Amino acid sequence: MAEIVAERYTGASIKRSEDPRILTGAGRYVDDIKLPGMLHAAFVRSPLAHGRVLSVDVSAAQALPGVVAALTGADLEAMTVPGPDPLMALLGAAGPTPEFSLLATDKVRFMGDPVAIVIAESRYLAEDGCELVEADYDDLPPVMDAAFALDPSSPPLFANLGDNIARPHSRHEFGDVSGTFASADRVIDFHIDVHRHQNVPMEGRGCVASWDAGQGVMTVHAATQSVHITRTGVATRLGIEGDKVRVLAGDIGGSFGLKIGASREELAVAAASRHLGRPVKWVEDRGENLIASGQAREESFDVRAAVSDDGDLLGLDVKTVIDTGAYPGMGMGAMVPDIMEAMLPGPYKLAALGFESTAAITNKATYVAYRGPWASETFVRERVLDLVAKDLGLDPVEIRLRNIAPRTDPPASMITGRPLVGVTTKESLEQVAELVDFPAFRRRQAEARAQGRYLGIGVATFIEAAPGPRPEGPEGSLGSESMRLQLTEDGIVALFTGQMPHGQSHQTTLAQIAADEFGVPFEQVRVVVGDSAVVPFGLTGGSRSATMTGGVALHGARDLKAKVLDFAAHLMEASAQDLLITDGNVWVRGDPASAVAVSEVARRAASGQFGDDVDATLEVEATYDGGEGGWSGGTHCAIVEVDAETGLVKVERYAAVEDCGALINPAVVEGQIRGGIAQGIGAVLLERSAYGEDGSFQSATFMDYLMPTTCDIPRIEIEHLETVPLDADVNFRGVGEGGMIVAPPTVVNAIEDALSPFGVRIYEQHLPPARILELIAAADPAVRWLQVLASAFDEDDVTPVAIVPSDALPGSDDAESGGPVQRHAGGVLRENAGLDGPDAVGLGGDDKGTE
Amino acid sequence: MTDITLTVNGATCTGSPEARKTLVDFLRDDLDLTGTHVGCEHGVCGACTVILDGRPVRSCLMLAVQAAGSEVTTIEGLAPDGGLGTLQQAMWDSHSFQCGFCTPGFVMQATAFLRDHPDAGEQQIREALSGNICRCTGYQSIIDGVLLAAERNRER
Amino acid sequence: MKLPPFEYEAPTTVDEAIDLLAEHLDEASVLAGGQSLIPLLALRLARPEVLIDINGIAELSGVSAADGGVAIGAMTREYVAEESKVIADTVPLLAAALPLIGHEAIRSRGTIGGSLAHADAAAELPAVARALDAEFVVRGPSGMRVIPAAQWFEGYLTTARRPDELLVEVRFPTAGRGTGVSFQEVARRHGDFAIVGLAVSLVLSGGVISDARLAFAGVSDVPVRAAAAEDLLAGERPSAELFAEAARLATGDIDPPADLHGSSDYRKTVAATIVRRGLREAAGNALERQ
Repeated sequence: MAEIVAERYTGASIKRSEDPRILTGAGRYVDDIKLPGMLHAAFVRSPLAHGRVLSVDVSAAQALPGVVAALTGADLEAMTVPGPDPLMALLGAAGPTPEFSLLATDKVRFMGDPVAIVIAESRYLAEDGCELVEADYDDLPPVMDAAFALDPSSPPLFANLGDNIARPHSRHEFGDVSGTFASADRVIDFHIDVHRHQNVPMEGRGCVASWDAGQGVMTVHAATQSVHITRTGVATRLGIEGDKVRVLAGDIGGSFGLKIGASREELAVAAASRHLGRPVKWVEDRGENLIASGQAREESFDVRAAVSDDGDLLGLDVKTVIDTGAYPGMGMGAMVPDIMEAMLPGPYKLAALGFESTAAITNKATYVAYRGPWASETFVRERVLDLVAKDLGLDPVEIRLRNIAPRTDPPASMITGRPLVGVTTKESLEQVAELVDFPAFRRRQAEARAQGRYLGIGVATFIEAAPGPRPEGPEGSLGSESMRLQLTEDGIVALFTGQMPHGQSHQTTLAQIAADEFGVPFEQVRVVVGDSAVVPFGLTGGSRSATMTGGVALHGARDLKAKVLDFAAHLMEASAQDLLITDGNVWVRGDPASAVAVSEVARRAASGQFGDDVDATLEVEATYDGGEGGWSGGTHCAIVEVDAETGLVKVERYAAVEDCGALINPAVVEGQIRGGIAQGIGAVLLERSAYGEDGSFQSATFMDYLMPTTCDIPRIEIEHLETVPLDADVNFRGVGEGGMIVAPPTVVNAIEDALSPFGVRIYEQHLPPARILELIAAADPAVRWLQVLASAFDEDDVTPVAIVPSDALPGSDDAESGGPVQRHAGGVLRENAGLDGPDAVGLGGDDKGTE
Repeated sequence: MTDITLTVNGATCTGSPEARKTLVDFLRDDLDLTGTHVGCEHGVCGACTVILDGRPVRSCLMLAVQAAGSEVTTIEGLAPDGGLGTLQQAMWDSHSFQCGFCTPGFVMQATAFLRDHPDAGEQQIREALSGNICRCTGYQSIIDGVLLAAERNRER
Repeated sequence: MKLPPFEYEAPTTVDEAIDLLAEHLDEASVLAGGQSLIPLLALRLARPEVLIDINGIAELSGVSAADGGVAIGAMTREYVAEESKVIADTVPLLAAALPLIGHEAIRSRGTIGGSLAHADAAAELPAVARALDAEFVVRGPSGMRVIPAAQWFEGYLTTARRPDELLVEVRFPTAGRGTGVSFQEVARRHGDFAIVGLAVSLVLSGGVISDARLAFAGVSDVPVRAAAAEDLLAGERPSAELFAEAARLATGDIDPPADLHGSSDYRKTVAATIVRRGLREAAGNALERQ
């Protein structure tokens, strides 16, 4: 008897169901929403970093034709429930809770702090109105760095706190820290800085809030990573019952951690809508997005590394200070140290860890979650490994192989507790070494150096808890993800999920899983997202959805199928155990002619023909606890070329070997990895959220906050490791954040390698061209001087060295001869002029120049 | 307010925008063509790219009144009857996009470029698209979509 | 970032435009390509009462060879200039610089005259104009003036154009036999403004340099001719030592601005590098044009 063979979707790069609308301009983003009577909001924002608000006069704005209302911070306090950020507790944020208002009332605390909201018939008019608002401030000394913030003499930003500490100093130790350091062959100290940069999704924050006075219902069309978290934020702050707030989200133009909950501005917009009884739209412009939406990653680290002479990284003692900006947002800045601490050992055999942290409040925009918020732990660790390797004369791959925890059964645990179940870091490192021929590169590197070109190679490894291993013990679970699955009367398998994709392609990937498990064609599955009245709780973030939502889709589809087959058994007068569903048909095993379309089964269930004796509700509520969970991770490798005269860096090659478990959709996985890597490259070479000492924000347009383009990101080669399955069914693991976590150290390691002839050591993440030249100039004066000499005679297209100020002349006492510099100069002098033709100029060596 | 008439996606359109209203805002608000997106409003990100009188232009850097008498094509106008043109299909097949916000700008810029440079190689395509910013993809999948479209165009 | 309100005028002749300028003087801004002005309006950094849109003045476009040079109408789009065979053949330095201006969509609308009237010292065309001693033809109520490039660029975004004048044409001299050019630009990314840029033109005859022109972008509030370096190069044969010395002279007394993209020292350092690279490339190209 013929078997009907089903097409298998999971594991294939199925084309996205999102794309037809995306590619034809039919997507529906917040700014596309138009409601009858809709008004537009704009914000008056503080020009000062720190100041007392003396007065805010909105009368001239209100008088402008087309302006419907202008509200101050005080007006909004009267319309809302005051209090701390309602979502801090929800998300488990600890620490002191500063008191502040939606719009600034008594104080402004960063340049861009919203002070008033103007609502008008158009955004144009609202901005005109903003210009007419007269706000008077008394300047206060700005607190622009964490060191000053932690100094008790710094003016407290929040009166109720009395100081600028967002998270009090704490210290934890794992293993025998003092013993490890006392007995180590060497202890090396570093100070490492990660700079402030930010999410910058192509679509900014925004919402359309629409208050229905008759129903007492607030509808918010949002751009958010969770409709329910936004709902809670709005409900709490506006004092509306939770079920009277409905949050809808359509297409979302990226987020990367930015759009979670409800920002102060969005809450003000919702309050304004209720006040006016009309829908109000606010979509931030690029200036607002850069200045005020929030920033991330400004962290400094004092690191001590205890090492053996053979290259064992025995222990780390790390002290970190986070600059969390002025408002706690959802407390991400104060939370991040805990995750960093937990993750710092990575996949290595680190035996001892001391970790201290403090978080400071400063006059900058809020520290928000940005793709892999704890990523600096990987940066610090992977930089330390390279720096230690250099001190000991070890190869970067070699030192990592030496220190990586081998995969054992039972698995080794990180000193901070989590077991390294199924971690394939060692394999990824070995595979990178095969993919990228290191010895060949070293030869090419040496040849290039002889020509005055600086190539470098860097590697870095990482793991991320996506979602991480199941916690030990009988109660151990990775949380709970819910999904409602339904076979609709049209025969569609509908998945209702709290996931809120903003580029993750969930409407495709979850459908792949459900289609396979249930037995219908991909097109017969519909993933429903973005309506808080209809979907269960969920949040797209933390790289959890592949496991948690993939898992609940798989098991839920299985449960739904069982229910459908139980019903179909009545219909088809067969036993449920003998029934199969493939390709959208239910049929009796061994009898293809018996096939009944799933849609027919659904129709019959909806018809109620069997009465109350038969359960015809073809719907299940599923939950999933993550099963065994697991780690994602891998090794990345970059080859760069540094132009030592301009400081410009080109990433010539980038390769990633990664393990994210079973792939649901390889193209989607690879897109996520490449996007994260691009952000990491951007962070190192281009992106910085810059504040002046006076508190002014200096990267407020795309001319100053530079985003990587097609000419900055190379082709990225990706190899997927065959993973270690941990679960019978669900081995999908998250991959969203890894690229952004590991790319910065990969690239910085490569740059340091490129600049090793100059003796450069890098202790920071942001390396614009001017900084590269500073590092070269600061490194080794003798090397510098001799290369100046060489360059004066160079005729190649690419001259080898930075020009230094004219006071570094031959004859200086620093001059040394011999060694690599001499070889380098000799190589240059042997080169041809590089000019052809009758007037070619020779240069010592071969002279081609004659008519 | 100035009365203007222009052709958008083959249809004659009229409007009375304020002089200061940008072309992108006019397309989105007055003509309900929300496919063209606003990404920066200072001419850097390219999300607002449309084709005007045969040339790719940043519609955030034009006043609507300046488009009077012109022929404008937006992403909604690329494919007949709601189907997909060669480039759009190739981008679908190549998984070119994720969140989709930058997509209209890339599609319009690439459409104009491929029309003028049908045999362009990867480096040329990268340079031609270097004025469009994407935050999600790292660009490789977009380049692949354009290369695939060029190949398919040649095969026809 | 919506534009502030302004009165809008769209003259169709140069005379109309001049009348409007004479009426509104400093209260008016001229809208040419809009690629520089509209962002300033969007950021509300420019607040003209009146915007005079000259895109409808047909007589302002066009590229024509005129004795010993090329006359380019102020409203000639950058992409048109880029595609112009006349410019490619006769003003190779301009042809070299044009593709570096922003991105294709910018060049669709941006104009030769607009860029030069805006006079951003970090932009490409001002350096080219300064290097080649271009001439700026303005018309005003009292008639026509021709202003040499050395006098055109007065200061930060400031030119010699009086408020009642309109830039109607820019004239570039034809490159002579033996001319080699190079436009060097160090920018953070492809298509960005130069952190420092350099327009180089020199003539080689019999292996000897004559008429060396070097003009920097991004080292001051106006494009800067490296006169001392030009004097040094004249009459000499190309060599690495010569170019290195020219680089030292060219950067000796510049005091570039500092910003997020580079310190003053950085710009000075890189300026020297691009003098060497630019001279080398120009000398190489000179041989091809013999």
